[in-house]
Amino acid sequence: MISSLLPTWLAQVPTAEDVNARVDLDTLILTEQFYFWTVVIMWLIHVGFMAYEGGASRRKNLMSTAMKNILTIAVVTPTFYYFGWYIYGCFQEGWPKSGHDSPDAFPGFCGLTSPWSEAMGPNLQDHVSAVFFLAFLLFSWTTGSIMSGALIERVRLSAYLILTALLGSVVWILDAAWGWSSGGWLTTRFGFHDSIASLVVHGVAGAFALGVLLNLGPRIGKYTTGGLARSFRGHNTHLTLMGLMLIFTGFYGFYAACLVIQSTVFPGWLNIYGSPTTLGAIAFVITIGFAGGFTGGWFASKGDPFWTLSGGLAGVISVSAGADVYHPSLAYLLSISGGMVAVWSGTYIEKKLRVDDAVGAVAVHGVCGFYGVLLVGIFAGGYPTGINNVETSFGGQLMGMMAFLPLAFIPGYVVSWILKKFNLLRVPAEVELEGLDLAEFGQDFYPEFERVPEIIIEPDGREVESAPVLLDAYWQANGRPATPVGTGERS
Amino acid sequence: MFDAFPYDEWGDDIAEFWTFGGEGSTGTWILTILGIAVMLIAFWGFVILENRKLTAQADRLKASGALDKPTTSPTG
Repeated sequence: MISSLLPTWLAQVPTAEDVNARVDLDTLILTEQFYFWTVVIMWLIHVGFMAYEGGASRRKNLMSTAMKNILTIAVVTPTFYYFGWYIYGCFQEGWPKSGHDSPDAFPGFCGLTSPWSEAMGPNLQDHVSAVFFLAFLLFSWTTGSIMSGALIERVRLSAYLILTALLGSVVWILDAAWGWSSGGWLTTRFGFHDSIASLVVHGVAGAFALGVLLNLGPRIGKYTTGGLARSFRGHNTHLTLMGLMLIFTGFYGFYAACLVIQSTVFPGWLNIYGSPTTLGAIAFVITIGFAGGFTGGWFASKGDPFWTLSGGLAGVISVSAGADVYHPSLAYLLSISGGMVAVWSGTYIEKKLRVDDAVGAVAVHGVCGFYGVLLVGIFAGGYPTGINNVETSFGGQLMGMMAFLPLAFIPGYVVSWILKKFNLLRVPAEVELEGLDLAEFGQDFYPEFERVPEIIIEPDGREVESAPVLLDAYWQANGRPATPVGTGERS
Repeated sequence: MFDAFPYDEWGDDIAEFWTFGGEGSTGTWILTILGIAVMLIAFWGFVILENRKLTAQADRLKASGALDKPTTSPTG
């Protein structure tokens, strides 16, 4: 009996080749699942951005603010699919030379990134390209959205969409090709190290936003005739803080997606440059980075809730560039400093430079993004970066900063200047005063809540009704003489 | 292995259908060009439609007198 069944059993026993094939396939599917779930978690960043900016806006601008975050996805996704991913794959050697022949890039990667390639459509043989693309797409949404909050309450939705597509699908992905890839010229030649994207995402988005803000100008009434800053009161600070907490949650997905794992090809976790690291190492740094950032933000702002939470974000951004290298204690100290730098630079930008950045994006993302890369040059010099093992250095980090500052600032400034010349950058002053929601959507988005007078905070801390202040500022902005205080005369 | 299901054979058929003939085929090119065209039209539409709304509302507000020069003094 047994002897008669033996041949059947033996025929069913898998060979070593069968087992290897199965292990290879399962490994690929694990990689596919890993990136898929990072994408799901990263969606929370965008839920968070929407809540954060919506809460920071005045009631009359709630939906126009949220719509920017929603439509970021509508414009960055196709633009990134049609040309953004190709820029990443094919421009790692620099501009205008493409990376087709780069000996440092993953072989053949460029050919997989054009929208007509077999990797950019359904493909049963390829478990990795699509989810890897999607992880980068979510990075692009994030980069585009960072600018969003800075511009609220006066930018045209359509102008923002053009600018965010430029930032999310061209500017940031070109800088990622240069300094956030295994074959990027900044990495292979200068050892540039920005492992979790302090500069390539945050710093670049902040610099781009600054270029736009210079053309956009402040909200009506933001500054007195003497140049002192008033404060607008966001309509729901709790929503803003909850949004920040959602962004923080999503950041864990962002951090994880910045690593490379595929055990059929690599022996372990790699950072984006191809250097060994672990998921645990970067999770250590992000968590303690939040702790340090909250602490620094709290002390520098004397307990201001908005800046305490923004300090957490700034702390993480400050240590992201070296997240694969830093000891947790070093990350704690550096992130405390990052939280403080964000508060101080944000105050300077608002009060001294008189740039009306509604949510402090230039300080938190821009300044701390550059600061984070600089810190790697100081504290992680000598670290072998990338597949060429080029040592990270202070000079190499400076090279990256000098390359990315103009790469980000100039397009933001020039394109917003062109939009301004065509009167397409900013909403009409009348609409800004009334609120964008009525013009864009024809409704108030809290219909069952009584309207109360809008409050503005004067430079000396007094809370006053905003309507007369804003109306006076509107008349000044329209080229007519300001109403003399106390006369009430009409022109 | 569950080999009663001809995964590989069906997979080839499905892949061919999905991509309208695979990498660089005419169908893929046509779809790509159509997609890019629609994307550009959408950008144009965002600009035009919003401009129409904003201009109309600004004109209404100016005509309504709601933004006449204030008679009370601002505090700043």
